[in-house]
Amino acid sequence: MICYNCGATLTHNDFCTNCGADVARYKKIVSTANLLYNMGLDKARVRDLSGATETLRQCLKLDKSNVDARNLLGLVYFEIGEYVLALNEWVISKNLRPTKNIADDYISLLQDNPAKLDTYSQAVKKYNQALSYCYQGSLDLAVIQLKKVLSLNPKYVQAHQLLALLYINDEQWQDAKKELNRCQKIDVGNTITLRYLNETRNILDMDEEDASYPTGGLEIKGRKGVLDSAKKNREVISDTSYAPIARKENKTITTVVNVAIGILIGIAVAYLLILPARITAAREGVDESLKAAGEQLDAKTAQINSLEQELNSSKNQNEKLKEELEIYTGESGKLSAVDSLLGAVNSYLENPDDMKAVADYLDQIDQDTLAGAGESFGTVYKLMMSKVGVDVGSTYYDSGMKAYQSEMYEDAIKDLTKAYTYDNSNGDALYNLGNAYRKSGDIVNAIETYNKVIEEFPDTEMATRSQQYVNELNVD
Amino acid sequence: MINFEEELKKFHPSLEIEEAEDAIYNQDLTDIADLLVGLVKEDKESSLSKEDKQ
Repeated sequence: MICYNCGATLTHNDFCTNCGADVARYKKIVSTANLLYNMGLDKARVRDLSGATETLRQCLKLDKSNVDARNLLGLVYFEIGEYVLALNEWVISKNLRPTKNIADDYISLLQDNPAKLDTYSQAVKKYNQALSYCYQGSLDLAVIQLKKVLSLNPKYVQAHQLLALLYINDEQWQDAKKELNRCQKIDVGNTITLRYLNETRNILDMDEEDASYPTGGLEIKGRKGVLDSAKKNREVISDTSYAPIARKENKTITTVVNVAIGILIGIAVAYLLILPARITAAREGVDESLKAAGEQLDAKTAQINSLEQELNSSKNQNEKLKEELEIYTGESGKLSAVDSLLGAVNSYLENPDDMKAVADYLDQIDQDTLAGAGESFGTVYKLMMSKVGVDVGSTYYDSGMKAYQSEMYEDAIKDLTKAYTYDNSNGDALYNLGNAYRKSGDIVNAIETYNKVIEEFPDTEMATRSQQYVNELNVD
Repeated sequence: MINFEEELKKFHPSLEIEEAEDAIYNQDLTDIADLLVGLVKEDKESSLSKEDKQ
């Protein structure tokens, strides 16, 4: 024992021989702590680990520097599966006594085996998760989780106890008892374990007595032990003498019902397993048919499109050909013009004096067709015009002038136009045509015709008069 | 009879490895011996201050 004031070793005196400090109370505290350590050690030796933990904690509250007590406490924690608490104690111990400390070995034991340490860590995490499940009411999940925890760390007393509590809550008394017995093998003096075990044993004892005395419900009431409401209900049920007979009848009915349920389940399973496969096969068949039909439809659509395009191009071609044919066969067509020209030639050859007949044929020739006609056609037309043009023009001029004088201006315009067409050297025809336009009120054509007179026949009286009319008409 | 809810309250989450360091640093290591030494020191200081006043 060393002095708390100067660190010198103390003697049997109540004061420090080095610094003179009063160490009487200090020595008593340390002695009590040592006593508690010894008690803790005794408890640990008989595996009363809970008792040892409590005693060693009290020891350390009196004297924190009791390294042996701290190391032992760590060892006890380690034994009940609380590895982090064990490490805490050993690390503190190592700090208090850096050399010649067994805590060194314990820490090394854990640190040199990372896989084992990881397993312990996983166990702690899963235990905390299980506890969380319990708080949330997911007790089934908690049971599963705790079983995993105990497979990782079979010495985890808290996990055993929690699992036992869950079994008790679920009235699985045998399972609870097994867990609690395992707890007891690790820690014989744990009060929680003992209390749960006591409760479980009481219930199991009562069940055993129930089994040995089926109609002895009244006797059970008299015996000592805890009776819960469920237990009381069981007693009432066991009192009824009809129970065994009812059970026999029920057994037969139950068997029949079970067989019926089994058959129904079988049918349901068959439908569930077979029907989906058939439905899938049927769907696949339908899908394939639809696919084939779709492909055919696409091919037909493409064919229709192609035919429509051909039809359209044929129609266009037809229209073009019709137009071309119209050029040749229409009223103003080339063929018609050729026919008219041939008719004029034939008429002239048969009767050269019948200018009227020749003129009728030549009138049928359209001037536009004439412009686009071939060289031979043009030559023949010019020849005919040179032969008959002046005479035909003269005929039209006479009839036009008659109409003009009779103030039939529309006929006059018609005949005078032809007269000038057949004989464009006939300036009078053109001049009187202008007059006919003017008198009929067609000012625009009148001016145009007069201007043509001025242009075609300059320095003539007709041109002078035409100029005067143009000036007058422009003024108007 | 065991009350499940009440018993469940007695179970607390275990310390995980990651929390070990904090737990060590935050542990209150004051013991009775420390308190006694503190009391003795206080007693000495008060007696010294009384002597100074006199």
